[in-house]
Amino acid sequence: MTRRAFALLFLFLAANALLAAASRLAGEVDAKGLANAVARERGRVVLVNFWATWCVPCREEFGSLVRLQEAHGKHLRVIGVSTDFARERQAVEKFLTEQKPNFPNYHKKSGGDDQEFIAAVDPSWGGELPFSVLYGRDGRKVKVLSGKQSYRDFEREVRRALDGSSPASRPARIRTRAAVRASAEASPEPRGLPLGRQG
Amino acid sequence: MGLVKTAALVAVILGLSVCVRGAAPSIGAPAPDFALTTLDGKPFSLAEAARSRQAIVLMFIATKCPYSNAYNARMREMAAVYGAKGVLFAGINSNKSEPADEARAHAKEHGHTFPIMKDPDNKVADLYDAKRTPEIFVVDREGKLRYHGRIDENYENPSQVASPDLKNALDAILDGKAVEKAETKAFGCTIKRV
Repeated sequence: MTRRAFALLFLFLAANALLAAASRLAGEVDAKGLANAVARERGRVVLVNFWATWCVPCREEFGSLVRLQEAHGKHLRVIGVSTDFARERQAVEKFLTEQKPNFPNYHKKSGGDDQEFIAAVDPSWGGELPFSVLYGRDGRKVKVLSGKQSYRDFEREVRRALDGSSPASRPARIRTRAAVRASAEASPEPRGLPLGRQG
Repeated sequence: MGLVKTAALVAVILGLSVCVRGAAPSIGAPAPDFALTTLDGKPFSLAEAARSRQAIVLMFIATKCPYSNAYNARMREMAAVYGAKGVLFAGINSNKSEPADEARAHAKEHGHTFPIMKDPDNKVADLYDAKRTPEIFVVDREGKLRYHGRIDENYENPSQVASPDLKNALDAILDGKAVEKAETKAFGCTIKRV
């Protein structure tokens, strides 16, 4: 009886270990978990990239992230977050097996309201994918990048963050006419206004 | 003309030349007017449509985006239910990678009978600073933006929606009330701009 119990326990533990080893994901993450993952990398520049297997531009830029991590080694930590539907887990594992990333990838926890997650990551993020957030060595957010980026785009921003020359800022936005006028007139608080009716 | 004034004029001209994508219109502000042609060749003008309806629901949609496609049935159903109450649903496809033929085939496949328009050079997407699909803007009969964001919070399970945000917004507008949650966010696919 005891021998059988040990055998079963061994099989159970082995099966769990195999399952864990088989997954390419570092785990599931919510907004707080992601913030903790970023905080653990204090001292490095961190680039968090939100992607999904069905998102063609996400897949197209993923290779650039692998190159980036390789190029900057211990000075940079790339963190990927899959926002795939829960039922697409198999597709996520397949994608990661093919891509062989050299950085951790998490799966966004299912359930709950996505907009809380989106708002927690960055207030300017509308939920579009792909989307990346860059943090300086001190853990402060320095840049957000909406849409597909080239390797050159990522490299430029990471280098700026590594040099410490990029101030904490919101994503660049084209200003409205009113804001340009206000700036030209040296108004202290330029404000954007609706463009108004256009045919 | 003095140097400062000249510099200011140059700055304004340069600013005008690059100011093609502004901030999203604010809730309560006039929604940017536009005119497009529907996939079946009919003219569509937001201003004209708004005048004869209780509200217009502008939906930035895509043919290939799983998030947008997760809402095909809900868009169709809501368009029918609220259409009877004087609300017009209209789809806008701003993706450069999805030609009109593809959008037409997609609409037919999913039984969409609401007007759908291609948005050449994503001009309307830029006017609204639309970032993803699906993304919703609701304009009332006075031409004011009353809601901006998602259809609901649960793209995976329509039967388990806990926050039917678009429905709530439309019900409030039809009842003459303020929209409680006028701005929401959700995941979606980036609009493939030129």
